[in-house]
Amino acid sequence: MSAAVAQYAALSRRSLLTMVRQPRAIIPPILFPLMFMALSSAAFDRTTQLPGFPESESFLQFLICATIVQGALFASIAAASDVAHDIEDGFFDRLIASPVARTSILAGRVMGSLVFGFVQAWFYLVVGSAFGLTVEGGFIGMIGVTLVAAMFAAGVASLASAFAIRTGSSEAVLGAFPLLFSLMFISGNFFPRTLMDGWFKTAATINPLTHMVEGMRAQVIGGLDLGEWLSAFSIALGFFVVGLVLATAALRGRLAAN
Amino acid sequence: MQGTDGHVVAEGLTRHFGTIEAVAGIDLLMRPGEVFGFLGPNGAGKSTTVRMLTTLLRPTSGRAWVAGHDIVAEADAVRRSIGVALQDAAIDPLMTGRELLALQAVLHGIPSSASRGRGQTLLEMVGLTGAADRRVGTYSGGMRRRLDLALSLIHEPQVLFLDEPTTGLDPNSRFALWDEVRKLNRERGTTVFLTTQYMEEADTLAGRVAIIDGGRIVAEGTPEQLKAQVGVPTLQIVIGHGEDSLGAESILMRFGEPAPAPAGAVAVRLEGGASAIASVVRALDEAKVPVEALDLHMPTLDDVFQEATGRRLEGAAESQPLEQAPNPQP
Repeated sequence: MSAAVAQYAALSRRSLLTMVRQPRAIIPPILFPLMFMALSSAAFDRTTQLPGFPESESFLQFLICATIVQGALFASIAAASDVAHDIEDGFFDRLIASPVARTSILAGRVMGSLVFGFVQAWFYLVVGSAFGLTVEGGFIGMIGVTLVAAMFAAGVASLASAFAIRTGSSEAVLGAFPLLFSLMFISGNFFPRTLMDGWFKTAATINPLTHMVEGMRAQVIGGLDLGEWLSAFSIALGFFVVGLVLATAALRGRLAAN
Repeated sequence: MQGTDGHVVAEGLTRHFGTIEAVAGIDLLMRPGEVFGFLGPNGAGKSTTVRMLTTLLRPTSGRAWVAGHDIVAEADAVRRSIGVALQDAAIDPLMTGRELLALQAVLHGIPSSASRGRGQTLLEMVGLTGAADRRVGTYSGGMRRRLDLALSLIHEPQVLFLDEPTTGLDPNSRFALWDEVRKLNRERGTTVFLTTQYMEEADTLAGRVAIIDGGRIVAEGTPEQLKAQVGVPTLQIVIGHGEDSLGAESILMRFGEPAPAPAGAVAVRLEGGASAIASVVRALDEAKVPVEALDLHMPTLDDVFQEATGRRLEGAAESQPLEQAPNPQP
């Protein structure tokens, strides 16, 4: 049993190492959401005074959770494209030619993304705080937000890994990215649902990401709210479970197709 | 046939990809401690065979045992007993040699206390101690292959599979890797299954060779047996300018059939084998025939391949520059 744990740990470590050692691959996914955060909080700060806008101190306070989720999304897609790279360059074969547990091949990447998502979320919170962000839920609220982000990162990583394992192509993984990206935008993440109208509002309301970010946001703009947090966390967990089922099926399919 | 007496046994091993029959029912018997060469051109089915024997690919039909374990039913036991270095030296360029060795050890369930020392020994063995803490992305092709070899040995496997270990390497790196494989086999008794498209490699390294073409084994035996089957060596002499070639020819013909030779040279197929050279030289000397050059062409595995398939082995020309002298073919 301890050998299996050591394998999970070693493969997670490798996943993190390879992410951190590719600055070109990992800096844009961290910086882009940050830039977006800086630009829109400068541009839209006064919208917070619009009637119907959720009560928040600043647009930054409203936006921060969307930024965190966006960052987790970007980084996890990059991690999943590494899974495809492993298949393309044969490292995957090295893994399956060893007596390692089949699931740890996947779990290593997913765990790596979980850890990375957690750290990345804290990074955004710290940067935000430097620009005057206050989190009403305090330190516990921050922990709550970053835990959801970590779970969501693991969820996206496993979903995208399912795709990576099925196609075995890193291009295909990056090509599927716009799909998740639009899911991110057709939501209440960057603008409050209360100010939306028509089909967009309907779409945003259906989108589970809206509810996840709203649940996180509640901790930031309102204060600790266990109910909201649970709803956010369970949506993230849902992504993770679906992703894991699909990825395990894809892995089984690839191993059987051999 | 079960597989404990022979380390690698295959019976009618077959693999189809759609309608293509990549491996068409091969039988193998490899004994413990031997270096077995699997020689064939690109696309002959070498890698597919290795992928089946290393549990990466399931056979369409047929069976095989590696170190006594069925490759399908006991795949995990097979994985524990084998070391695998695949063709592309699939090594994560972002990690260092030492990190990869540690990872490989963990994958094989070796506790880190044991793996550190073993990793160091292997790094010394393949001459990579200086580069151990550099990222693999900075390694040369030869260094990658040597690291790959070290990686495949971390758990001290009984059987080592090397899929085209020297393809794409420069001659020096190739010779260095050959030395490692020889040493490994000699000192640890590791059984080595080696695929190659270079006949010289099979000839120098392998105790026994199977030649595969179109998914079928077309010849099998020790390199010496195989070469002896296709014929005898050819001896060609270049005689002094303006000398009488007829005298030389009549002497040579006492030792075998004439063979085609360029102008100014005479050639003979030595019926008595290479050991007849001494007698030929003595006879020429007695008859005072001035010999300027003497060239012995031994049959090669390429000749064996040609005999079996009617074609030349791909890439043979690059791998055997020494044999490319203008020799008549037997």
